[in-house]
Amino acid sequence: MEEENKKRILVVDDDDNLRAVLIDKLQISGFNVVGASDGREGLNKAFELHPDLILLDVLMPIMDGQEMLKKLREDEEWGKKAKVIMLTVVEDAVVIAQAVQDGSFAYLIKTDQSIDEIVEKVKGMLKK
Amino acid sequence: MAEHLTISLVVLVILLGTIFASFSLIEDILTRPQRYFSTDLSGEQMQFVVVHIAFVVISVLVSYIIYLLFSLQTRTEIAVFNTTKSLGASLEQFVKFYEDAPVPYIIIDKSGNIKNPNKAALRFFGTVLEEIKDKNIFYYQPEEDKDKIEKLIRYYKSNVPINREEVRLVTKNGDIRWALISIFETKDPESSARTGLVTIFDITDQKKLDQAETEFVSLASHQLRTPVATVKWYIEMLLSDNIGALSPKQNEYLKTVFKVNEEMIDLVETLLNVSRIEIGTIKIEPKSTDVIELTEGILMELSPQIEGKNINIEKQYDNNLKDVEIDPKLLRIVIQNLISNAVKYTRENGTVSIVFKESFGEKTIVVSDNGIGIPEGQQDKIFTKMFRAENTHKLVGASGTGLGLYLVKSMIEVMGGSISFVSKEDEGSIFTIKF
Repeated sequence: MEEENKKRILVVDDDDNLRAVLIDKLQISGFNVVGASDGREGLNKAFELHPDLILLDVLMPIMDGQEMLKKLREDEEWGKKAKVIMLTVVEDAVVIAQAVQDGSFAYLIKTDQSIDEIVEKVKGMLKK
Repeated sequence: MAEHLTISLVVLVILLGTIFASFSLIEDILTRPQRYFSTDLSGEQMQFVVVHIAFVVISVLVSYIIYLLFSLQTRTEIAVFNTTKSLGASLEQFVKFYEDAPVPYIIIDKSGNIKNPNKAALRFFGTVLEEIKDKNIFYYQPEEDKDKIEKLIRYYKSNVPINREEVRLVTKNGDIRWALISIFETKDPESSARTGLVTIFDITDQKKLDQAETEFVSLASHQLRTPVATVKWYIEMLLSDNIGALSPKQNEYLKTVFKVNEEMIDLVETLLNVSRIEIGTIKIEPKSTDVIELTEGILMELSPQIEGKNINIEKQYDNNLKDVEIDPKLLRIVIQNLISNAVKYTRENGTVSIVFKESFGEKTIVVSDNGIGIPEGQQDKIFTKMFRAENTHKLVGASGTGLGLYLVKSMIEVMGGSISFVSKEDEGSIFTIKF
């Protein structure tokens, strides 16, 4: 019963260590967390589980984060409005500008954020 | 020639002397002939002898002078002939040098139209004379470099020297080559029309190397961001009570690891900024910025160092800097570096002062300290990449990469501002930025 009330978060990152620590931290913070290690797996899990929020890396094998986001937004029913936080190591001016305008989308640089700040951002966006 | 003249003159003087002596002798003979002739000669006979001697002497003199004049003329003619010949040879040699020089040279007219390119210039552009002649040299730059094209034309037309300007030039097959061009202005000796000698120094290879290096730094820094972020988050997890408490000593050690990792993150950021500046991908996003708040934030961040060395911070803010249209991220890096340098290179109990000013719309930030200063002989190098002044090694704990001021200068210039400084060793430094 309690499990079902928890917000569900999908963490898509090809770096196992980073994904593991993010999943642990978010679980400790009271979320139901699912991981995926590339864009294609992420996309499948996103459509299957309809998570409340997706934490998405950019540089990934098989399908990268931007491609996954594009495919997600093509889905009129659910994916278009899905909440996404890009969590990456590369700045992309165009994507950052887009993120500033879009309430369901944020762009964060991994090294700039402490893990607590990420949890705060996740909580903040879920309230919107 | 000069030697010949000297000898001639000496001989002339000797001859004139001899004539003078001869005439004194003749005068003496005429007055007291009995001293010279045992038998009495008649006046007529004597006169004949005297006139004869005088005639001989004068003829010798006159013929010598005539000889002298003729020989001088011949010698001049020979010299002129020789000079003309060697001038001709040097002209020929000069033309050969020009034509065969490994450096591309181009002679252009007053509007920049190509008149006479040498072989290396034709090789550089991969073309032949007929195709390049009378085309404008300035329009060999790619269209995207419009500003540069206009600038160089303006410079050339208004006689501003063009010295080692970095340009891109398009060759016949469409390749873009990097070059330093200099234009030496001169007048055509025949028509006295204005012409220019263009020297092209090909730096494409160096540029490619630089680019590869910068791209490598950029790639490496991005790759480094993932591990440093991973370390950061794992340490944060350990330091939080989320997964059980650590012993005080473990906590202390881990905090040190965290601090070192944060320094590494800063270094990676600096390297990324350097590569962005060098690749030219740095983005300037001006927005309304409160420079006072920004500076206070930096001081807060540096408070461990400031308090650790008991440094006195003097502040003199100007409210005009509460709302400035500037890129806050870049300005932050600039001010952060200046203040952190001032703190780093000032001894314990020293003073760092931060003064904001605005006059005639120009905003100034002055950061000064009474620290170790910059040795006079090294002041011209402090903005070069990876440079650290010698006296920084004497100061304990003042480690650095030598990238800070390089970055500061590049960034302030990208934002359209400028930086200057005054410094004296062991007395301190004053850095001033204007924007």
